[in-house]
Amino acid sequence: MTSADTALPAHPLEAAPVAQHRAPRRASFVRRHGRAIAALALLAVVMFPFLWLVHLAFKPAADLFEDSLLFTPTLDGFRALLQGNFLRSFLNSLAVSTLSTGLSLAIGVPAAYALTRWRFPGRRHVALWILVTRMAPPIAFTIPFFLAYRWLGLQDTILGLALVYLTFNLAIVIWLMQTFFEAVPTALEEAAYIDGCGVWQAFWRITLPLAAPGVAATAVLCFIFAWNDFFYALILTRTQAVTAPVAIVNFLQYEGWEWSKIAAGGTLVMLPVVVFTVLVRKYLVRGLTAGGVKD
Amino acid sequence: MADATVPAPPASQGWQSARRRAFALGLAPSLIVLLAITLVPAAALLVASFTPLSLTDPAGTFHFRDPLGNYRHLLEDARFLGSIATQLKLSAASVALQLAVGLGLALLLNGPSRVLGAARGAFLIPMVLPPIVVALIWKIMFTPDVSPLHRALDAIGWPVRSVIANPDTALWAIAFADTWQWFPFTMLMVLAALQMMPADPIEAASLDGADRWQLFRYIVFPHIRPVLVVCGLFRLIDSFKAFPLIFVLTDGGPGTVTEVTNYYGFIQAFNFSYWGYASAIAMVILAGVFTLSWLVGRLGWNDHDKR
Repeated sequence: MTSADTALPAHPLEAAPVAQHRAPRRASFVRRHGRAIAALALLAVVMFPFLWLVHLAFKPAADLFEDSLLFTPTLDGFRALLQGNFLRSFLNSLAVSTLSTGLSLAIGVPAAYALTRWRFPGRRHVALWILVTRMAPPIAFTIPFFLAYRWLGLQDTILGLALVYLTFNLAIVIWLMQTFFEAVPTALEEAAYIDGCGVWQAFWRITLPLAAPGVAATAVLCFIFAWNDFFYALILTRTQAVTAPVAIVNFLQYEGWEWSKIAAGGTLVMLPVVVFTVLVRKYLVRGLTAGGVKD
Repeated sequence: MADATVPAPPASQGWQSARRRAFALGLAPSLIVLLAITLVPAAALLVASFTPLSLTDPAGTFHFRDPLGNYRHLLEDARFLGSIATQLKLSAASVALQLAVGLGLALLLNGPSRVLGAARGAFLIPMVLPPIVVALIWKIMFTPDVSPLHRALDAIGWPVRSVIANPDTALWAIAFADTWQWFPFTMLMVLAALQMMPADPIEAASLDGADRWQLFRYIVFPHIRPVLVVCGLFRLIDSFKAFPLIFVLTDGGPGTVTEVTNYYGFIQAFNFSYWGYASAIAMVILAGVFTLSWLVGRLGWNDHDKR
């Protein structure tokens, strides 16, 4: 197997699997139809709770306890939300996630490249150590970080939170970018060396542009992981750097059960993630299952 | 492996060492940062776990008169031991459910039809949603006065009290919500494995007259079994971090029936400020997670590195 084969397995969202190979016993049209119907029915069941939340966000507060789906959609929930502090925390989330993504890429991409091209002894141990850091439970990091941040003055700051997110995002960048770099043929780099480029010059001019889609996908994934975090933000922020997930829970606790606000908040928080998922679905899958499938 | 061959050097020796230096320079920042943000905190955690550190007097309680005191206390702490039992129950239930649902859906969706392809994408949504949103979704589903499910049951004259307020069902409600969120992971991995499966054995077996069950049992299943094992281990490791669902749905209750070890550690640290004790709890979880990670490594989920 060449490295190109192993680095880029066909990914599960693009079809062509087993059922096709059963061609000799040609599946009847009806049977294929039956599978699709079953799949759509199950999809409806699985999506129902999710869609219910979204629909509550647009439901007038007065109709909230009605099951009728006939109502005039309103943006009151969103309006009430954005008049409070929620906008601030939404922007905090954006800032923290962007900063963490930028830092992870800046530090992690060169490391991934070095790990891909440089076969040094112990390389596998380094790669494994990096991956294992991602497995560590957040509770193990929060206690030391909480105490250290009090001392360093990083408590309740966007920078502090972005730094903590490196504990998982750096590993993702290094791990994922390796598979993208492995797919770039070394011949192009060799040509650049012969033309007098240094290692990093060749990387910057040749390899990185070729791996650009991979960088973009990795960035999106980092952003999502940082965006989705609740635990670290809950513990390491207080008022200034509160992120959107924590803000939702706060008004869930302190302002009683205002379902339309909660639903509106939930909808806003998941919006970027859902948009990104649609945009980079193909790469997202590889990121989420990175290293998971034997090839 | 193509990229293992070293590029033809312009001037061999000097070029080789220059290249190594350049790579080392690229790798160094990551290793330094990772050292600072993972190994240093881990060491600090270990040290803290030997002390009675607490918020009331962080400096004064930083002594080592009884280094194993916290760990000894853990063994006598019924609430801690209970949290481990709760953790094991929750992990076993949710991992089993996720493997079963994910496998079933992967088999159903593994076909060339366009509808199935679109469904494969849509089924991913729960996994990428922010965990806090997943928690909100299920808070709504499990809260009788606002939940459409509860109201539907009410309407047909079969009222059910809140499953998350009921000690007999609260943990299973969490396992259920967790399964909803994470079955796509198993589904994806199994789908990927199914796609990498060679066609020949299946064709040969169907020519020999194997029925669908036999095909699955003797050809498809053996092929995806390693993926299921790795998948289960990955989910098992993640299940020790369960937090937002428990925080929002039950807050560890009713009583302590949904208080997993991770949650107990959180309460000891951030509600009671017993840092030293919470550090010992975190060390125990860390040891468990690393043992499992090592197991995953042994099972070789990352072959292309070994070659």
